[in-house]
Amino acid sequence: MLNFLDTPAVLHSIYLIGSLILFFIGLYGLLAKRHLLKIFVSIEIMELAVYLILIAIATTSGETAPILSDGLTAFTGMSDPIPQALTLTAIVIGVAVTALGTSMAIQYHRLTGKVSVTEMTELKD
Amino acid sequence: MTFHFTPVWFIAIPLLLAFLAPLWVRWRVLMPVLFSAQFALFALALSWLPTVRIAPVLETIVIAPPLGIHLHLDTVALLFVTLFSFAGAVVSGFIWLGNSAPHLRDRPAFILILLLIAGSNGMVLTGDIFNLYVFIEIVGVSAYALAALRRDKTALEGGLKYLIVGSVAAIFILFAIVLLYLQTGQLNIAALARAFADIPAQMQLLIGLLMLIGLGIKAELFPFNFWVPDIYRGSDSEITALYSGVLVKAFLFVLFHLTFILLADPTVARNWLMALGAITMIVAELVALRQQDLRRMLAYSSLGQVGLITLALAFASEMTTAGALFHVINHTLIKLLLFLLAALMLRQFASLKLADLQGLSRTMPIAAGLFVLAALAVLGLPPLSGFVSKLWILKGFSAAQTFWPIALILIAALIEAGYYFRWIRTFYAPTSTSTRIQSDGERILNYAPLLLIAGLLIVLGVMPFLLEDWLTQAAQALLGREALLNAVLG
Amino acid sequence: MNRRIPLRKRFRVHTLLLIALCGWLLMLHLTLLLNHGLNAPLNGVGDIYLSRNAETASANAVTTVVVSYRGFDTLGEVTVLFLAATGVGMLFAGGLGATPAFRDRNSQPNEVMVTGTRLLFPTLLLLGIYIVLHGHLSPGGGFQGGVIVATAFFLRMIADSNFNLDHAQLGWVESFAGSSFVLFGMLGLVFVTTASFLGNFLPHPIAAMGQLVSAGVIPLIYLFVGIKVGAEVGAIFQDMLESNSASSAEEH
Repeated sequence: MLNFLDTPAVLHSIYLIGSLILFFIGLYGLLAKRHLLKIFVSIEIMELAVYLILIAIATTSGETAPILSDGLTAFTGMSDPIPQALTLTAIVIGVAVTALGTSMAIQYHRLTGKVSVTEMTELKD
Repeated sequence: MTFHFTPVWFIAIPLLLAFLAPLWVRWRVLMPVLFSAQFALFALALSWLPTVRIAPVLETIVIAPPLGIHLHLDTVALLFVTLFSFAGAVVSGFIWLGNSAPHLRDRPAFILILLLIAGSNGMVLTGDIFNLYVFIEIVGVSAYALAALRRDKTALEGGLKYLIVGSVAAIFILFAIVLLYLQTGQLNIAALARAFADIPAQMQLLIGLLMLIGLGIKAELFPFNFWVPDIYRGSDSEITALYSGVLVKAFLFVLFHLTFILLADPTVARNWLMALGAITMIVAELVALRQQDLRRMLAYSSLGQVGLITLALAFASEMTTAGALFHVINHTLIKLLLFLLAALMLRQFASLKLADLQGLSRTMPIAAGLFVLAALAVLGLPPLSGFVSKLWILKGFSAAQTFWPIALILIAALIEAGYYFRWIRTFYAPTSTSTRIQSDGERILNYAPLLLIAGLLIVLGVMPFLLEDWLTQAAQALLGREALLNAVLG
Repeated sequence: MNRRIPLRKRFRVHTLLLIALCGWLLMLHLTLLLNHGLNAPLNGVGDIYLSRNAETASANAVTTVVVSYRGFDTLGEVTVLFLAATGVGMLFAGGLGATPAFRDRNSQPNEVMVTGTRLLFPTLLLLGIYIVLHGHLSPGGGFQGGVIVATAFFLRMIADSNFNLDHAQLGWVESFAGSSFVLFGMLGLVFVTTASFLGNFLPHPIAAMGQLVSAGVIPLIYLFVGIKVGAEVGAIFQDMLESNSASSAEEH
């Protein structure tokens, strides 16, 4: 009865719409929130949405992971390995940036006691 | 076993040196290593010029394009690599010889500066779009950390702002890359260029828009550059010199490289980019008029020049492109000079406000003189090199019978003259405000890198033919889409 | 507290409307992706990689892409992590400086934590090393394994207040792994057989596919990545923990 859900078009639409909603949740958080950590969380959500789009659209249902194991002997009917490699790279980069950002936020809070971007006015004239 | 020079060296050697940092710390040779690495790469790049001018060097990594990553060293890439290495050598020489603050001579600063330059080299050299993203992030992370290097309130605030804006820009760039891959199944820029025309027009527009937002933020173009002055104001001036001299130039190159390669007909984007450049230039120059802080003024002036370069590059005629590339060189040299001067002034004066710098010429005569020289070069007065590059750009526009950019460029130069002369008048004011915090005399060693740049500005202004062939060829390489596609894809 | 504020003040309505508009426009565009993108890139790079993957004799095609075909990306990625670790170290160093980190005695870890960590630590360490070493055979690899190893040490740091990773030693380990990665890449350049940066210059017979010792330099490079990632993430943990305990010490 729910077989139609397995067709690639439907699956991809679901993934795409879901990821886009995530992306815009992140964008909303970025524009509307003032707390530094919330902004970092929003940025992470946006990044995540982009990774999801890449992984989800590039894979169709029925494809296996591109690894030879469990009796598989040939690289056929497998999903594209590139999006997975790219996502791995991008995730590590995202983590690095976030680690640096939170460290800066912690240090900034310790020096000034501020956590909000609207209070960051030291550099204005 | 063979042992040959390849473009990989411009990236691999700085990486190796950065990873070996504990060794240099133990031997106490951080700054000499930093300086000599940049200088060696600069010398290497120059020595390569004859080879590259005959034919571009294409270095395959593991698997041949369009499958794998490759580095593409043509005349325009070599021009930028040479410029970046030179800027790196000057700044590290300045930090090393000129007694900069301890946090600039420490291990983190060594690693970050080295990799900032290496990442910029990578951005210019790489022929793969995801590799480009990785290099953008290398440059980005080192720039964020460098902005916060001083670890006080202002530096951290600048660093945080930069990090937030920069990572949002990176997300937009990544989104565009993801869409490109999903549409074409390619990652090599040349292969993407072949396939780009088959993408539906609406999708092309979306990808272009995402790229433009991302790269526009990073290259400091008009609606996206609200954050720039804060960061320039918060960071150390030595670092700001690198931002303005290296970082922005690398992103401008990427923006136009992608535009010229991906679009079969660059006139599609021409008007938009030209408008963006023109607005950036005029708005930035107007705002610069009102600035009371030297570093903010320099930041806006830098934005104005970026606008001018964008305007000229977007026009995409050979003459304006060559002029714009020459202006890239000039602007890097001038802004290095000005920001390093600001660093020297900051050591002697408590603040860099207009009111606090009155009568500076008495205590720092060389600095004031160099400031005048740099200001004249920005304005484009003969016999300095800024004159020649602006002249080439104007000649390019008039040859194409397009006159509105000429009018705008001249108006911008007038506004520039207005604010630079205001600062010069203050420096040579007869009364002196007594805000000096220390006087260690004028060490000539501090000025050695600055005098070198000043000399170059004059030499290039008097003898522009030294670079003319190289620049013309570089402009052809930047605009020559078919030649590049054939070279990469065969 | 939050509940007292009326709903319309907790959300920024204008921003929300703007976002909804952008989202709707983008959604319209992206339906194109579904119509066009799905059946088009059949001859993309990914499929060619898959069909040529046997050349490298690595059973895991993702690892082949990450370490070999796109190894240059991985080098860059390791560099980004290295930069971030440097940045975090820079931010938290100095102010706390030469004095050894002082842990807050009032927040002594509880017994469950201590015992659990004692149990988990060796297992996690083993799992991490396994994942690093089998990167070319099974899912996982240097990044995943390296992070697991770092997590094991992180648990130790939380559970045992006297346990510290020595920054200098971590720095040397990281330096060794990073420079080995680059040097291996350069060795690939030097050998005639590959003559390319990061080329697979060790013998990698296809018959050995699926065995632990196979795929030439791929497992070795992934091992370096694992060591480097482990050391970097460990250093970040250590920095954050030290700064945390130091600041709570100031408050008391």
